Amino acid sequence: MPLLINRQPAANDSWTLVNEETLSSTGGDIIVPLALLEANADSLQDRKGRVAVQINGDDNIDALLENPNQYELIAIDFPVFRDGRGFSLARLLKRAGFEGQIRATGDVAHDRLTFMERCGFNAFEISEERYSDESLAVFTEVSVRYQGAADDPRPVYHR
Amino acid sequence: MYQYNEVDQKLVDERVEQYRDQTRRYLAGELPEDEFLALRLMNGLYVQRHAPMLRVAIPYGLMNSAQLRKLAHVARKYDRGYGHFTTRTNLQLNWPKLEEVPDILAELAEVQLHAIQTSGNCIRNTTTDHLAGVNVDEIEDPRPYCEIIRQWSTLHPEFAFLPRKFKIAVTGGPQDRAASQVHDIGLHIVRNEAGDVGFEVLVGGGLGRTPVIGKQIREFLPKEDLLSFLEAIIRVYNLNGRRDNKYKARIKILVQAMGIDKFRELVEAEWAEIRDSELKLPETEISRVQNFFKPFEYDSNAADDAVDTLLAENNDFRVWYERNTVAHKVSGYRVVVVSLKPYLKPAGDMTSEQMEAVADLAESYSFGEIRGTHNQNLVLADVKKSDLLAVWQVLADNNLARPNIGTLADMTVCPGGDFCALANAKTLSVADRINEKFEDLDYLYDLGDIKLNFSGCINACAHHHVGNIGLLGVDKKGEDWYQITLGGRDDEQAALGKVLGKAVSAEEVPNVLEKVLNVYVEHRNEGESFIDTFQRIGLATFKENVNATAH
Repeated sequence: MPLLINRQPAANDSWTLVNEETLSSTGGDIIVPLALLEANADSLQDRKGRVAVQINGDDNIDALLENPNQYELIAIDFPVFRDGRGFSLARLLKRAGFEGQIRATGDVAHDRLTFMERCGFNAFEISEERYSDESLAVFTEVSVRYQGAADDPRPVYHR
Repeated sequence: MYQYNEVDQKLVDERVEQYRDQTRRYLAGELPEDEFLALRLMNGLYVQRHAPMLRVAIPYGLMNSAQLRKLAHVARKYDRGYGHFTTRTNLQLNWPKLEEVPDILAELAEVQLHAIQTSGNCIRNTTTDHLAGVNVDEIEDPRPYCEIIRQWSTLHPEFAFLPRKFKIAVTGGPQDRAASQVHDIGLHIVRNEAGDVGFEVLVGGGLGRTPVIGKQIREFLPKEDLLSFLEAIIRVYNLNGRRDNKYKARIKILVQAMGIDKFRELVEAEWAEIRDSELKLPETEISRVQNFFKPFEYDSNAADDAVDTLLAENNDFRVWYERNTVAHKVSGYRVVVVSLKPYLKPAGDMTSEQMEAVADLAESYSFGEIRGTHNQNLVLADVKKSDLLAVWQVLADNNLARPNIGTLADMTVCPGGDFCALANAKTLSVADRINEKFEDLDYLYDLGDIKLNFSGCINACAHHHVGNIGLLGVDKKGEDWYQITLGGRDDEQAALGKVLGKAVSAEEVPNVLEKVLNVYVEHRNEGESFIDTFQRIGLATFKENVNATAH
């Protein structure tokens, strides 16, 4: 699946998103949904390869916000594009001091990338049929912004 | 009024090109239907019964002559020569072509207009008092805060996919002419005991399927904290509002389910995190925006008695003056309400020629500005009394001076089943029936102030729940029926109307209204308005009498 990191197509991504069935059989670096990760916390500790977490709007992320930098990557899932909770989740992670990669997964495409980036996302997993090289140009479509966000907290009158 | 700087202009220009590209990709089949739907809605474009409908934003209802002329031009060039003013003080075009919308938006951008966030599940056009800045009761002009909210909410990256639409209204004093208590957030400018000016904040009001009066979440919010508090409310809503059922997705449902105290607790906790951030509004920014709304340089020689002789001589002019003009805080001036409720024409509709006539009047007599009201009329807010006769004559020549403001004939009516794909029933033909029945102006004047609000479906675009008399179109086995409610009001004493009885047919609506009005006339005390009589005698008296005469 095409992946953009910092506005560039990323090759050689080492991360694999797992689910309940593929968790034990997948080697290397894995992204584990929060509920699955909590249920398998012990066995994951002995694992080779890095572990990242995936969250969505239904998860309670209070504990994660206490210590987000235990992960170098946190994925936020968009089950459908209309589910805008992920935008706020990213902002909460940034506010909690998270410094790693925030990756948008799920129903992610072109016309939402700029808003996502402004909220703190820097990686975007886009399905094959929705990806085109034009997606790279989307970040500069609207070059001015009124309000502050995770990218730049200053409103227009402080810039 | 606010004037765009380079940043403002660039934003709307780039937004137009972005939308042009989105439309191109949609027409080329590269953009799925439902994703384009979300994008076009955030640019004001619906697909309606016969054609697309484009809703152009008129931020807090304020526009200048050049903008109104441009709207007239757009309506003529891309549509059928008319537009429709809504209760959110926006302008709807009913017949644009989807592929021409980018061109329309580009033309609008030339005069600092846009259609951004006039629809979709995002923060919509902020509305306010149509008498802002010219009424005596005001603590402060609310419009600068509306503009500050407009800028903060425009393309807000976090709040473009809220659970549901989100509407904010701001009032500047104790009187509420913006229906603020039935908004997702209502902001009231107030003065606290220390004499500081800030906001009382209401949350969780709304109409539609589940009408609710907003609840106070904060008694006093310092001005500087306006944006951080709004952001805290909307973040809590974005994270916690229901997304499984669009009829339960508005913030009012969340506040009801959680209880205002628990909701307040969450908001306060979130607010504590961001209150002392860059969201704090500096005094310099508030005054920068306030400078755009400074009072005009009024003529200090304008005579307060300038029209007294004319009023005595010309009865038609006097009637119009009494009904369609309002006191102005400056001596020698008057506020003119342009009636968009001519006899047997759709409420809120305006032809391009009428728009141009009003644009010219504003330029000649009212400092070049025009306002929309949430009752679908326009306002020329700063007319010298000595100019009133000239203004009246032009308005009358253009069928814009029917002296009916505030009367039963000043109905607020949505386009209904003739245009809207959501509607359950037609509204326009029934509004005509009501107009025909109550044509006699002397009778209307005798009835005094009555707000009649008429929605074609439960989405309540015409605010029927808060009409003194509310009409709601319902569909019964393919036929149009109408439910009548009484006792609603949308002012500072906001209340929801109560159902009078079973829904009635289109033919019966005027007759039942007549019975309702007869009950009022019979029971009113000297000088008592319909709504006051209703509140004194209660629904039961109306029910008894209306049903008794039905048999």
